[in-house]
Amino acid sequence: MSATMLTFQSNDGVDITIARDVAERSVLIKNMLEDLGDTDEAIPIPNVNEAVLRKVIEWCEHHKGDPPSTGDDDDSRRKTTDIDEWDQKFMQVDQEMLFEIILAANYLDIKGLLDVGCKTVANMIKGKSPEEIRKTFNIQNDFTPEEEDQIRRENEWAEE
Amino acid sequence: MARKSSGSASSPRLPPLQPAVNHTSDFAAADTPSLSTPFKLDEGYSDETKTQVEKKDLAIPASDGWMTLQEWVLTHSETERAELAFNLLRTMRASTVASVIERLAPRLHMDPVLKLPPEITSEIFSYLDPQTLLMASLASRAWRNRISDSRLWKDLYINEGWKVDMDAVRTFEQEHSGLSSPQLRKSRSRHTDPDSGEPKQKKRVPPSWLNSRTTGSLGRKTRPENGQRHAAQEADNEGDLPMGDASTERSTLFSPEEQTTSPSRRRESHSGSTPLKLSGNGLSAATRRPNSSLLIRMPNGAAKVNWLHLYRLRRKLEENWAKGRFTNFQLPHPAHMEEAHQECVYAIQFTGKWLVSGSRDKTLRVWDLDTKRLWHPPLLGHTKSVLCLQFDPRPSEDIIISGSSDKSVIIWRFSTGEKLHEIAAAHDDSVLNLRFDERYIVTCSKDTLIKVWSRHQLSPADKDYPSMFFGTGVTYPSYIIDTAEMPSPVLEAELANGHMKSLAPFSLLMTIDGHTAAVNAIQLNEDEIVSASGDRLIKVWNLRNGACKKTVIGHEKGIACVQVDNRRIISGSNDDTVRIFDHASGAEVACLHGHGNLVRTVQAGFGDPPGAEETLRLEALAVDNAFRDAQRSGASVDLGPRALRRAGYTQNTTGSRDPRDIKALGAKIPPGGGGSRWARIVSGSYDESIIIWKKCKEGRWVVGQRLRQEDAATSAAYVVSDPAARAATTRSNAFAQQQQHLQNPGVAATQNQQTPTPTTAPASAPQAAGGGGALQTLQALTARLAGQAQQQPQPQPQPQTGPTPTPPAASRAQSQPPMNMNGIINPALHQPPHPLAPPQQQQQPHPRPRHHPRDASAVPTSRVFKLQFDAHKIICSSQDPRIVGWDFVGDDEELREACRFFMCL
Repeated sequence: MSATMLTFQSNDGVDITIARDVAERSVLIKNMLEDLGDTDEAIPIPNVNEAVLRKVIEWCEHHKGDPPSTGDDDDSRRKTTDIDEWDQKFMQVDQEMLFEIILAANYLDIKGLLDVGCKTVANMIKGKSPEEIRKTFNIQNDFTPEEEDQIRRENEWAEE
Repeated sequence: MARKSSGSASSPRLPPLQPAVNHTSDFAAADTPSLSTPFKLDEGYSDETKTQVEKKDLAIPASDGWMTLQEWVLTHSETERAELAFNLLRTMRASTVASVIERLAPRLHMDPVLKLPPEITSEIFSYLDPQTLLMASLASRAWRNRISDSRLWKDLYINEGWKVDMDAVRTFEQEHSGLSSPQLRKSRSRHTDPDSGEPKQKKRVPPSWLNSRTTGSLGRKTRPENGQRHAAQEADNEGDLPMGDASTERSTLFSPEEQTTSPSRRRESHSGSTPLKLSGNGLSAATRRPNSSLLIRMPNGAAKVNWLHLYRLRRKLEENWAKGRFTNFQLPHPAHMEEAHQECVYAIQFTGKWLVSGSRDKTLRVWDLDTKRLWHPPLLGHTKSVLCLQFDPRPSEDIIISGSSDKSVIIWRFSTGEKLHEIAAAHDDSVLNLRFDERYIVTCSKDTLIKVWSRHQLSPADKDYPSMFFGTGVTYPSYIIDTAEMPSPVLEAELANGHMKSLAPFSLLMTIDGHTAAVNAIQLNEDEIVSASGDRLIKVWNLRNGACKKTVIGHEKGIACVQVDNRRIISGSNDDTVRIFDHASGAEVACLHGHGNLVRTVQAGFGDPPGAEETLRLEALAVDNAFRDAQRSGASVDLGPRALRRAGYTQNTTGSRDPRDIKALGAKIPPGGGGSRWARIVSGSYDESIIIWKKCKEGRWVVGQRLRQEDAATSAAYVVSDPAARAATTRSNAFAQQQQHLQNPGVAATQNQQTPTPTTAPASAPQAAGGGGALQTLQALTARLAGQAQQQPQPQPQPQTGPTPTPPAASRAQSQPPMNMNGIINPALHQPPHPLAPPQQQQQPHPRPRHHPRDASAVPTSRVFKLQFDAHKIICSSQDPRIVGWDFVGDDEELREACRFFMCL
């Protein structure tokens, strides 16, 4: 009944054809297909370039068998930053790609991928000193030493 | 960003660009196959290779004729430029390459806070704990702003398992939003949803969960679309904006609040539509209305609670509990001792600012906790001791119900103290405990029975009408009809024609006869009654029909008190222990030794964070599996502790997950009962002490603090009598554990001025040093003897509203030691406030209470009968007519302000 293959066009004009069930990992696309019905035309993905789109599709291919996201329910569980091995490897990309994957996952509404991306960044922050965090993300320290001291003092309450 | 090259080789022209030529020759020198070969062989034209084609692409001259090298390079695709750069670098010395790489390194690292929109960074931050977040907030101003996001800290707060009074938060926000500007007051209805003015974030905590914590949950409005709301607000501003406020309001609207992120920025950053521009720096704090740090002013002018602030203060409060920092207070106010009960106080309950107490003096008294004064004259009606009570001050309920040794139950109007109804001879013996909800009153008695009564008129067609259970243990009065036997049309017809009558309010619905000794305590939990009896059993009953659902076995002597939540049953017993049972399976998951006598009263707060059910189940499962593994591998584990005891092993029963310590399998909660790390149990005992149990790092229950009613009463009296002493008290409590040597001089100095009694000066020393010197015992004995003297003669009947036996003015002026009711100066009360929990007590696995000889020579004077705690205080009643409290807010005004939102664990 419905087309098994769909074509998408990245914002840099490249057509990519993938199976419908893979594409439907994206809630945005799933909803769009429900609204528009079947189409043979290439569906433009205005916010995602080819390299990122291919990466996102790779993830969707691997995870096409996953149970669908249950929405808010799994959010109530205590959050862990554990990432399974395949996803960890998948996320071993440069920071620009990492952030673009996150942005694409957010735009395309692929919760699983967004979670993995956010966890990856969270793990890059964990256990680091402010200086190490600045180095990790090339952040300019715009605090004066006095301000930094003051904030440190303000934060003392959280120390065990 | 791959730039798509324009495709065809449009023009064969090549700019006579010298540097380019130089470079190409450089490539040639470097012997790069892809680029150099064609250049070597050719004068610049060939359609054979891709490189060549693209080379010509960039041959489009800029409008002014010639291109700079950079422009020229930039016309290439990214792949090509990469290739070019690579080849360029290959021509250089390794050290040069290294320095270029070093210079480029930062380019590979980019700031997620700049790169990603707030909705995503807050998702990232939601995986991090508070310490990590605060560390990260030092990275830069931008990071600090994002991390200060109030919503983030709201989730952190809730995930700690701390409860919050959302109604109070809403009211507070509305009040302050209303004050800020008239037009906001007008449009306040739009802000009833606490989240509506705030960035919408993926909900981590279902709203239903939050609402379930509050009484009378407000319906959640559907969120208006962001743009629309802004439009509406701006329209409001266009309308009747008062001149005086104009500048403030308008500018606030466009100033990014330091603590918040704009709703528009948070949403759909990809859509590119940003209705509200947030460029420019915010106005200085001076333009904002001065508010406490509890508040955040939203860009639209609405006030929001600052959750980061709340989180920080709650941590501070929990720290005060852990460290034993508190101030004491008492009921009545020490300057109004004439308002006190005349004998020991068996029952108390408090809600909000109200506390109701019931005493051996046959009266109930309603207290205002703000003033520590009696609210209206004592409630007279019982002819013997008041043993139990419950009250609900909400206007819809406005009720107190009390039970007495006189076997009766009396219903009072809370607001007036008027006696509304009496169930005379409710039982054949003392009514030991009672609980009520909107539908029923449940009473239990020394006569071993539990009875369920209606609160309102009840027709057989009513859903609250009892159903019948034809088994042993429950009987129904003859007027109760088995409605299951009657089809509902028949039932309705019978009611209509008057053959069947509705039951009057306070009718007996059923009698449960399932215990073989006095039923000492009961609890209501939805449609369950949980009862604890002298027969050593806890039983769970179906409230609708009286059927016994389960029996929980564990205590070795009679049980005095019981508490339930949906997952656990907690009880205190004459076997001196507090035990925790799995509600689902009845398995005992912890047994706490620490008291030296009957545990008369207990309350527990486990602080389950959202989603705890699953976590608890999995933890319990893991423990079971570890046990089975140990069993299979031949380890000496045994569900019958006796076998282990024979083998010389003493089980750790405080929540250890060691397979050897497991007493039962199949529980739905792990050993210790689970809960957050802030979990707390407070138990009061006939050993005259109160123990605050807390979880150690390994998750086992340990004695956190040991409090004594006597000490609190002393301290409470001092607090009022002299501000200097008050300061000393706080200080000594606060730093009791770390700074014993520092606090002594201060306290001693205050003391010496006031009361040069020989015992006072050294009194705190042995306590600080060891906590159990001979002097202490002596003093305790003196105290008991004095107490005895106080108790032996029947209290002289005092006019309730008569003149005070101890003029408060005199007491204040001379800073006299507190007096007991009969005006006898209690020498024990003369000692200075002192640290209540010497640190070494925490180390001992089974600490014995200080100076608690269980011998006949010491007559107990402050056996604890009933205690209750909330987020920041414990109040306890005892043999002493004074009701005393420990307030863990101390003197912290900021914390006191925030406490209105904090709820118990």
